[in-house]
Amino acid sequence: MTIASLQGVVKRYGTQLVLDGVDLDLHEGEILGLLGPNGAGKTTLIQTLTGMTPVDRGTINLFGDDRHPFSHANREKLGLVTQEITVFDELTARENVLFFAGVYGIKGEEKKRRAAEALAFVGLEDRADKRPAKFSGGMKRRLNIACALTHRPRLLIMDEPTVGIDPQSRNHILEAVTRLRDRGTTILYTTHYMEEVQAIASRVVIMDQGQIIQEGTVDELVRTIQHEEKVSIDVTDASLVDRGRLEQIAGIKQVTVHGNKLTVISAAGAGNLDRIITIIKEQTGLVGIQADKPNLEDVFLTLTGKQLRDKEEGS
Amino acid sequence: MRVLSTVPWTLRRMSRDYLVLLLLLGVPIVLLSLFSYLMGNAMAESGRLLFHDTAQQMIMSFQLFSGSVVMSYLYYDLFTEKRMRIFTLPFNKSLYAFSIMLCGTVYSLVLGVLLMTYAQLVLGVVWEHWVWMSYNLLLLSVVSSIVSLILMFSVRSFKTAERLTEIYGVGFIVLAGLFFPMPDNAVMNFLGSYGNPLTLSDGAVTAMANGEAGEAWLQANVLAAASLVLFPLMLLLGRRKMR
Repeated sequence: MTIASLQGVVKRYGTQLVLDGVDLDLHEGEILGLLGPNGAGKTTLIQTLTGMTPVDRGTINLFGDDRHPFSHANREKLGLVTQEITVFDELTARENVLFFAGVYGIKGEEKKRRAAEALAFVGLEDRADKRPAKFSGGMKRRLNIACALTHRPRLLIMDEPTVGIDPQSRNHILEAVTRLRDRGTTILYTTHYMEEVQAIASRVVIMDQGQIIQEGTVDELVRTIQHEEKVSIDVTDASLVDRGRLEQIAGIKQVTVHGNKLTVISAAGAGNLDRIITIIKEQTGLVGIQADKPNLEDVFLTLTGKQLRDKEEGS
Repeated sequence: MRVLSTVPWTLRRMSRDYLVLLLLLGVPIVLLSLFSYLMGNAMAESGRLLFHDTAQQMIMSFQLFSGSVVMSYLYYDLFTEKRMRIFTLPFNKSLYAFSIMLCGTVYSLVLGVLLMTYAQLVLGVVWEHWVWMSYNLLLLSVVSSIVSLILMFSVRSFKTAERLTEIYGVGFIVLAGLFFPMPDNAVMNFLGSYGNPLTLSDGAVTAMANGEAGEAWLQANVLAAASLVLFPLMLLLGRRKMR
């Protein structure tokens, strides 16, 4: 059953086309991973889906309602975990959750019970009466999530909820997301971390330049590029390698360099490994070589030609 | 009226803002104590303690800065990264903004009344009309909040709006002649009397203390009228900015 959908959605900021005829369906009970490089239009898509930004063209259907998708009744079924931490530093963790519970019309003992439940869900019950100003980044992010859960939303939108946190908190959040899905919550999850999507998403949508360029399960997406082979080669000094010469070898599609690791993508069955190794040995030392199975990151790279975490690694 | 549920939390947030407490309660208490010590028992021509008038003007003056509190909370909730979450909540955003304004005004009034209490219990100032003085503190706080929000909604940068509210506050204290005498001409006289919220509220309280109820109500009503005239402008600019 479709819980939310966008049909032919177009959004411009001035002359810049940010969403270019986006069609997207969210099915009840799924975790939909939304991937895209910076500037792909993910945040704008979320803003249109939450009613914050009006669309120029197209329709949005939320919970079966396309006439008034952002009515208060529909908003009550919607939860949003923002990319930025949007909790009140002057209130304790419990008070923050109570604030949002009150706005959703939850009252009295039920409100207190729900707040305690939400804090326990994200593992903050022992910090309930502390203020978030003294929390670690991961704890603040978990509180950010708890604030969006008290009203038990049918659709939860999570915009990069694990940015800049420690692995322990990330695991905690990913477990919580999976448990939410098990409880029947539909989740739209955007992230820069491919491995998160690979671990939790039932379906993946890849966006670039305001368009959805591919969608399907992780396995389906990986199958689309199985006509390619990927080889990772560790060398002693990658700066000495002439990428141009490698790219001229028959069958080679792409050569990328990260540190002293070269990643070479060739057409399946190209049989050019000997030639690649010969050229590399002429220019620098060969440390190791590994043939990899294609994964979601390779799909993304093939489709967009961009690394998802380019900006983050550069900063 | 889901917005009502946020009011206790907004007030709680304001009461825990230690920087605001320091600036609008701590600093005035220190200044009041210092001036009380320096002025001692010197008497004014009116037969009251000279410090009485100074304390009254000082407490009123700090109300001019109450708009900064409202402006800052409104800005952080509705115009920064919190905006996205607040905008998805099932309540009326304009009403939420209005509730913050009311909370800020009430909070500022409470701080003013605390200063009055301190001046009376500790420094020996006897306020003749507590309710009238509080009413005028409230009017001054309302006008200051509205002016601050108009400034915030009118300019692009929040920093600029902050500087403008400071100019508004300090400017009217200067125009009231509290720092040094102002030139004697029609414009300055107007800005130092009926065109100055600080002079109006101070004048209303003094007139009531002197038994001139008509003049007291006139001055207070001018202040109330100013807030009624400015309110629609604030609403218009606010709705445009929040869109």
